[in-house]
Amino acid sequence: MTYMAIPNIGNYTIALATAVESLGIKAWASTATTPEALKLGIEAAPESVCLPLKAHLGHFIEADRAGVEYAFMINSVGTCRLRYYRHMIDQILKDLGLKIKIFGLGFDGFKPPIVRHFDPGPITFIKPLFHTVLKIKVIDELEMAAWRTRPIEITHGDTTRVMNKLLVKLSESKTMAETRSLRRRVAGSFADIPVDKEKKPLRVGLVGEISFLRDKCLNKNIEYILGSQGIELKNFFLLGEELENITRIIFLNRSRGKSLSRIADRYLQNSVGGHALDSVANSIHCADAGYDGMIHLCPSGCMPEVSIRPILKRVSKDKDIPILEMSYDEHTCGVGIATRLEAFADVLMERRKSGSAAGRRENARRG
Amino acid sequence: MGNPMEKACYMGIDVGSISTNCVVITPEGEVLAEIYMRGEGHPIESVQQCLSRLTAQLPDTYCVKGVCTTGSGRILAGAVVGADVIKNEISAHARATIHLYPDVRTIFEIGGQDSKVTIVRDRAIVDFSMNLLCAAGTGSFLDSQARRLNITIEELSTRAMTSEDPTDIAGRCTVFAESDMIHKQQAGHKQKDIMMGLCHALVRNYLSNVCNGKEIKPPIVLQGGVSANKGICRAFREALQCDILVPPYNMVMGAYGAALIASKSGIEQTKYRGIEASTHVIVTKGFECGDCPNYCEIIEVLDADEVIGRTGGRCGKWEGRTGPREALKGTGPVGPVSETSAGGLTEQDTCRPVENVPDLIQIGVCKKKRP
Repeated sequence: MTYMAIPNIGNYTIALATAVESLGIKAWASTATTPEALKLGIEAAPESVCLPLKAHLGHFIEADRAGVEYAFMINSVGTCRLRYYRHMIDQILKDLGLKIKIFGLGFDGFKPPIVRHFDPGPITFIKPLFHTVLKIKVIDELEMAAWRTRPIEITHGDTTRVMNKLLVKLSESKTMAETRSLRRRVAGSFADIPVDKEKKPLRVGLVGEISFLRDKCLNKNIEYILGSQGIELKNFFLLGEELENITRIIFLNRSRGKSLSRIADRYLQNSVGGHALDSVANSIHCADAGYDGMIHLCPSGCMPEVSIRPILKRVSKDKDIPILEMSYDEHTCGVGIATRLEAFADVLMERRKSGSAAGRRENARRG
Repeated sequence: MGNPMEKACYMGIDVGSISTNCVVITPEGEVLAEIYMRGEGHPIESVQQCLSRLTAQLPDTYCVKGVCTTGSGRILAGAVVGADVIKNEISAHARATIHLYPDVRTIFEIGGQDSKVTIVRDRAIVDFSMNLLCAAGTGSFLDSQARRLNITIEELSTRAMTSEDPTDIAGRCTVFAESDMIHKQQAGHKQKDIMMGLCHALVRNYLSNVCNGKEIKPPIVLQGGVSANKGICRAFREALQCDILVPPYNMVMGAYGAALIASKSGIEQTKYRGIEASTHVIVTKGFECGDCPNYCEIIEVLDADEVIGRTGGRCGKWEGRTGPREALKGTGPVGPVSETSAGGLTEQDTCRPVENVPDLIQIGVCKKKRP
């Protein structure tokens, strides 16, 4: 069996693994970068590049060691350095003398080189792609349900366990029928978790760089830490939403990007690159929707996210919404992160008690 | 315990990077005993020493009704003494300062390796910031410079105060500050001027890095280990052109705040293990979990052969559970019970048999083997 290593983007890796089947081969990945892979990546990469690159690089080195022949790396079309990261990873792997071959998402003619290389039949190709979209939707639903349930669960850990169990089932699901029946069970499984309905959790929006938003090894399990402190999250990277956005760009010529830039227009008239515009627009959206606070995850040395930090501070001041800036690199220790998050939760709680603007908005929203 | 003649008191322990502090207060917030000691890299031993020195200071009529630990070693310390509440140091420091100075608006806290600024309005924290990727401008820096000049840190403080014409020292990076200092020494600047210059560099670095973009408004309270340094206080006064308050318990504010938190959290039955905890031989032992490819390094805190706490897992399965290791392997996470994510280490075994679900799902497992 031929294997292909794909980048880890959190739980969505499960869906992307299905997409790889369309090439008639199997995926090799995990839902979070393993600490071992991260160590390999840090050793091999130049010191000043951002942590997501090191994580991906380490993942591919680990894959090569496990005997995987092919790898796939996403390209970004934005002005972020991610655009060059495939070439960079390719070069570093060559310099290390590794045999693994990396494909990107490029078109040079009718078929992308990756499809030409494996040359699957049309039926083999199409079916898993539909299945992938379905799985992405299921994972979106899972994530959203987990954000809602985790802060109010009575026994801590219940949500994580239910979620992980469903994810394991999803990763084992081979047919669309199986996935559909799983999707029907999602709401029920989360509804079975005993929760404290009286509790009104704090609501916090999570914006920033996508690898950090999704990979719990990189963000030190921020969703779990926040959730178990009784904070309801919205992580502003949902692959399903991104996909809808892409299809709208291609088929309707109406991208979400345009509406994002409309929201952010007062503060930022340029897309900067990466997910910088998204971060600004989502912060404004958060403030207007009555969230209690925002957390901005930013790899140290990430050009787009670092550039918008002053803008986010301005948003925070204008809209009276606290923003916690988190800048990560490989030396960031878990204790420091937990300390900041706990203190931030305390700040938000005190604000709510003292009847801040967000608190009043929240009360108005809940009637 | 349980004697009606005994008076209640609450204990706060702050295990920081450099020092371990302990404060005991009455329910009204009056300090009965305070201890500041350098940790020397043995957090367990220093916590135990703190406890044993506390017995000497504390009258027998007092009985500890609640314990709260804080600082970067709060989880380990919590396991050793049996803490009821485990709280982050930012909230603990702010609590203590607001208690002593109700109208405070800015809190500067510079410790061994952390420097923080906390913005307070109407007795509530509204914003805070902590040094993130750089430790230039913290106590450790001053410490190492004093050591290099072969003087104590106290001497550095008094000598800096006598300076009339402080030397300009580059303060962006600790290492370059040191090179600049050597250069200035070689050029013939007076030692006291260099020391004051060092204090100015530290303050400049702190104000531009940590306080960047924050609204600094008086009254300002300076605390943490570095606040004992008069040179730093002087540098802050000169840089901000306003008075800087240094609280009476400036070195142990974290522990004081923790004690206040313990007194206010309505603890019914304390989990405090008593003064005996200081005499036991407490050791830690590490092992690899291996239930999923995260391969978390779990640290067990052992008192004789009994497990009193575990730390280090990512999924929350090991934290707060003291059952035998074999029984816990392959079970699912059961989260902390106390109010913070880091808390609940000493909670009695809440283990229940559940299906094992990995924290990290592997795709293409058949090929993935650990080297």
